[in-house]
Amino acid sequence: MRIRKLLAPLLVAGFLVAAVPGVAGASGGEELTHCVTELAEKIESGKVHGDSAVNSALDDCRKSPNFLLPPLPEIIWTAIAFAIVAGALMKFALPALKKGMKAREDRIRDDLTAAENARVEAETLRADYELRLAEARGEAGRIVEEARQSADDVRRDLVARAEADAAELRSRAADDVRLATERAMADLHTRVAELSVELAEKVVERNLDRDTQIALIENYINEVGSR
Amino acid sequence: MVVVAELFPRGVNELFDWPAMFGKDTLLAFNKTALMALISTAICIAIFGLGSRKRALVPVGIQNVAETGYEAVETNISVEVMGAEGRKWTPFLLTLFFFIFFMNIFEVIPPIQFPATSRFAIPVFLALQTWLIFIVVGFIKQGPFYILKAITPPGVPKLLYILVIPIELVSIFLIRPFSLAVRLFANMVAGHVLLTVFAVMCWELSKMDSGTYQLAFIPLPFFGLMAMVGFEILVALLQAYIFTILTAVYVGEAIHPEH
Repeated sequence: MRIRKLLAPLLVAGFLVAAVPGVAGASGGEELTHCVTELAEKIESGKVHGDSAVNSALDDCRKSPNFLLPPLPEIIWTAIAFAIVAGALMKFALPALKKGMKAREDRIRDDLTAAENARVEAETLRADYELRLAEARGEAGRIVEEARQSADDVRRDLVARAEADAAELRSRAADDVRLATERAMADLHTRVAELSVELAEKVVERNLDRDTQIALIENYINEVGSR
Repeated sequence: MVVVAELFPRGVNELFDWPAMFGKDTLLAFNKTALMALISTAICIAIFGLGSRKRALVPVGIQNVAETGYEAVETNISVEVMGAEGRKWTPFLLTLFFFIFFMNIFEVIPPIQFPATSRFAIPVFLALQTWLIFIVVGFIKQGPFYILKAITPPGVPKLLYILVIPIELVSIFLIRPFSLAVRLFANMVAGHVLLTVFAVMCWELSKMDSGTYQLAFIPLPFFGLMAMVGFEILVALLQAYIFTILTAVYVGEAIHPEH
């Protein structure tokens, strides 16, 4: 639709100009004919006579106005046309156009400023969030470290306690073994002594009383044990 | 050339001579050139009028064309040449640029195919307008001795003023408007003549019945014509730009002579 609106005046302009003789110089032939006809009439009426005058008049007919001379009517029409276009454009169209462009420029500048402000604000928020995130990460790391430390402490404590328990158990077991051994040894002493006494009694019969024999045997055993 | 001469028996002037449609032999004789000037006016008003009515945040279509044109002139001409103060001159320079451009570009737009600026009246008016504006601005900005200041550049030994003053006087106040007008006019005339010659050669070669000899040569003027159309589009743009930027330079000098 816009293109049609633009093309319409151009087409009208083209046809208007084409309506004037369409080819450059189209009017030249007619004017030449008209000029020669007028000359013939002048020759018949005797206004022009003589070969030189006729030739000169014919040359004049062949000449069209010198295109290097600016015709005053065309200057006037150009002045009128320029005055109209300058008045219309400078008074109405261009101020409105400039106003529209200025409004758009202002709006774009405002939008850009707002966008820049928003960007700075977002940047600040992002920096704030990053700071908080870094703090949170630090806190989490600290908590994890503390937990690890606590776990290590607990582990060490448990290991130490277990080792102590084990040592105590080992010590108790060793004591038990030692006591059992001592007890067994004592029983063994006693038994051996009894057996020896019984044996000795059987061998010597009544030479020695029981207590003496036992003392004798224990001394002997102690001697053997000390070796 | 013989063919061109046969087509245009009254000479090259005939390519640029347009009879009046009405008001013949009066000051308001209205011919095709005047019509093209008014159509350029209408196109400029249509583009910037429609473009300024839309206020879309992201410009599209005609609004995009209008805003891009405005920014291009402001950035590349007004501010580039005149500095920050040049922004105030953007509307005038933009009007000048597009008015000239559309009158130039008619050269390659069928069925018009005639640059209005190849009529000397139009460059002359625009150059005189520029001349008048920079002189008036000079007097406003630099005071009543503007012309004296303009023709006596600082730093020149006093003795050399004998040479410098006439040179500056002629170059600033006579040659500037003349060169502005002639540059635009001559470029557009040359382009129009070249396009006409190539077009006529194509047309006449295609009409001849003498066998394949002529037909074999048709591609030469045809491709020449195509290349010239592209080149003339560039010339149309470039000449509008040059005229506008020189206007900005002259006005800028009148505002800030030290530049």
